[in-house]
Amino acid sequence: MSYFFQLVVSGIVVGSIYALAALGFVLIYKSSKVLNIAHGQIIAAGAFIAYALTGMVGIPIYISFLLSMVITFFLAMSVERIFLRRLIGEPIISVIMVTIGLMSIIDGLIFLTPFGSVNFSFPLFLPQTLISFGGVSISWTQLVGVIVTFLMIGGFSWFFKKSTVGISMRAVSDDQFASMSVGISVPRVFGLAWATAGLSAAAAGVIIGNITGLNFETLQAFGITVFPVVILGGLDSILGAVVAGVIMGIIQQFASGYLDGNWGLNGTAEVLPYIILLIILLFKPHGLFGIHEIERV
Amino acid sequence: MKNRKRMTVVFSLTLIVLFAFTVQAQAGETYKLGLSLAITGPTSDAGDPYSKGVEDYFQYVNDMKILGDDKIECTIRDDQYKTDVTKRNFEDFLDQGIVFYLNYSTGSTLALKKDFDEEKMPTIPASFHAGNLVDSSYIFLPIASYSAQAIGLAEYVANNHKGSGTPKVAMFLHPSAFGRGPLEDVQKAVAAGLKIEIVEVVEHGKDLDNTAMLQRLKSKGVQYVIGQTIQSPVATMLKDASRLGLVAKTFGEEGKITFTGCHYTGGNDLVSLAGPAAENYYWTTSYIVTSEPGVGTDAQLALAKKYGRDEKTANSHNYANGVMVAQVAAEAILRAKAKGVKITKESLYDELLAMNGMNAFYPVTTVGPVTYSKTDKAGVDTLQMYAVKDGVFHSVGAPFIPEYTGKIK
Repeated sequence: MSYFFQLVVSGIVVGSIYALAALGFVLIYKSSKVLNIAHGQIIAAGAFIAYALTGMVGIPIYISFLLSMVITFFLAMSVERIFLRRLIGEPIISVIMVTIGLMSIIDGLIFLTPFGSVNFSFPLFLPQTLISFGGVSISWTQLVGVIVTFLMIGGFSWFFKKSTVGISMRAVSDDQFASMSVGISVPRVFGLAWATAGLSAAAAGVIIGNITGLNFETLQAFGITVFPVVILGGLDSILGAVVAGVIMGIIQQFASGYLDGNWGLNGTAEVLPYIILLIILLFKPHGLFGIHEIERV
Repeated sequence: MKNRKRMTVVFSLTLIVLFAFTVQAQAGETYKLGLSLAITGPTSDAGDPYSKGVEDYFQYVNDMKILGDDKIECTIRDDQYKTDVTKRNFEDFLDQGIVFYLNYSTGSTLALKKDFDEEKMPTIPASFHAGNLVDSSYIFLPIASYSAQAIGLAEYVANNHKGSGTPKVAMFLHPSAFGRGPLEDVQKAVAAGLKIEIVEVVEHGKDLDNTAMLQRLKSKGVQYVIGQTIQSPVATMLKDASRLGLVAKTFGEEGKITFTGCHYTGGNDLVSLAGPAAENYYWTTSYIVTSEPGVGTDAQLALAKKYGRDEKTANSHNYANGVMVAQVAAEAILRAKAKGVKITKESLYDELLAMNGMNAFYPVTTVGPVTYSKTDKAGVDTLQMYAVKDGVFHSVGAPFIPEYTGKIK
């Protein structure tokens, strides 16, 4: 039975990190209906900034973690200002194409630094002992990862529900022209959406980097890995990202724990989430918590 | 008078032509080579130091006038691990008139195999996939294939297993031709009498947590894992295994798992990614490592220093990998030149085929000699086992040649 609970706990840990990585997609989509294809690159950039501050400048990891979020916040805001601001009002597909171009640009920029082709790892800063209860174990890195994830998700949920800026971001997502007519600055909202997505991406990058080590390909691939989470949760739902992340994490662990290696099966942990995604989308095409818009003419 | 003037012009022209030829002969010939690899994109952590190794050694050959007045001009192009770009690069190199080609990935080597044969181009890839050699005459692996490496690891497990009964092994593979390549050959070795039991074959994904997989292996009594993949998934697995207290502190420690792997799973990059969790990881390759003192280490570090490489590059086994393939290419040119043969792709192909027996080539960057023949296209057959102790790889035992690679042929 403890094996079962270990898989559940591991699934929740992995799923919550997926949710944090997926949050960046949701934050941008929620306010601008744009899918940022370059999100994986921003995740990697956040992790590398934190490592550079710690490993090269010598700033303690806790501070560099926060600093990397602040830097990525402004970096993402600048990206929006330079590349995407002029596309406000243009068809969404144009903006998405720009994010594809952005992906190549950020790739190229990272390859100009040592981080593109050299591997690093964060210095150990958490106890290496295990936290065990009832035969189930979790590392400090994973525990801190889960706590940071839930703190950030809680914070963003509050931000969108209660703060004036958050509500204005939701308003822009619903209708840009109507929002402008009531005095909301759409460009400012877009900038903020990108900035907050950058902030969450940096957090995800540092947590993933602590688990896998700092390899550019591995980090940037998480932008795509969490895509099913975003779709399953509903593109514009923070709660959806959390629920879908945990569902995906648990499915992966159960597939790996119970299916792989039995009956000639292998690699089901990679495939099963997509199969479940397809089945759920058959019944809920907008994802578990996505908004189903009905236009009455 | 008119005739005399004409004679003077003819004489002068003859002198000019003769002078031009003399100058050209003094300047020596330039031999063109090509290398297409991933300096950016996937696997560039291996490709980048590899390219620097190739570049530095050819520069060294030219600077030290190892080929006399002749020079090697090796064009290095980034293909970002994309086969279509590799093909385009190769075609460009052909237009430039290359006499030797250095390729990189398993995918592009398999895809361009027929092109190499059609063009009769001697080719050394950075991929050691045994399948590269099937139905190909012009591909030469620099060292033992992944299959030979995995069989070597399996033999090492069989010979050093401490518990009773047949050692239970799991294979941890990259989900690609590169990863799956050795599986069939290890299974053949087992069928031929190699005393290990393959309990499970795991094709990994982009896992953030390997708890389920590791506990499953543990419950099946797996004592050894043989990996054929890249460093990143191995690092994550080692971190999880370390967290779960599953890593054997000595080879074959009972109740624990001993993790082992082929060339691209190890090296300093693994230590960089896994940190202390890399401790007691067993790794095999045909290359030397700079954490072991020796002539090869001195030469590798001196070369890297001469051309201003950073410490990470200088100590990378993939830098040694790049240096070594450049050494083989330069040696083939040198031998053809010594015979007074014109340097062409055909003559270099012949030189590679003759690189055996008394003519085997001993680069100091490997643990054994490079031998090629019509029936043996894998360069260095010798492997060395290394293990991580105190954060660096140290050799374990003497270099060896896996027995079963011959038995399953």
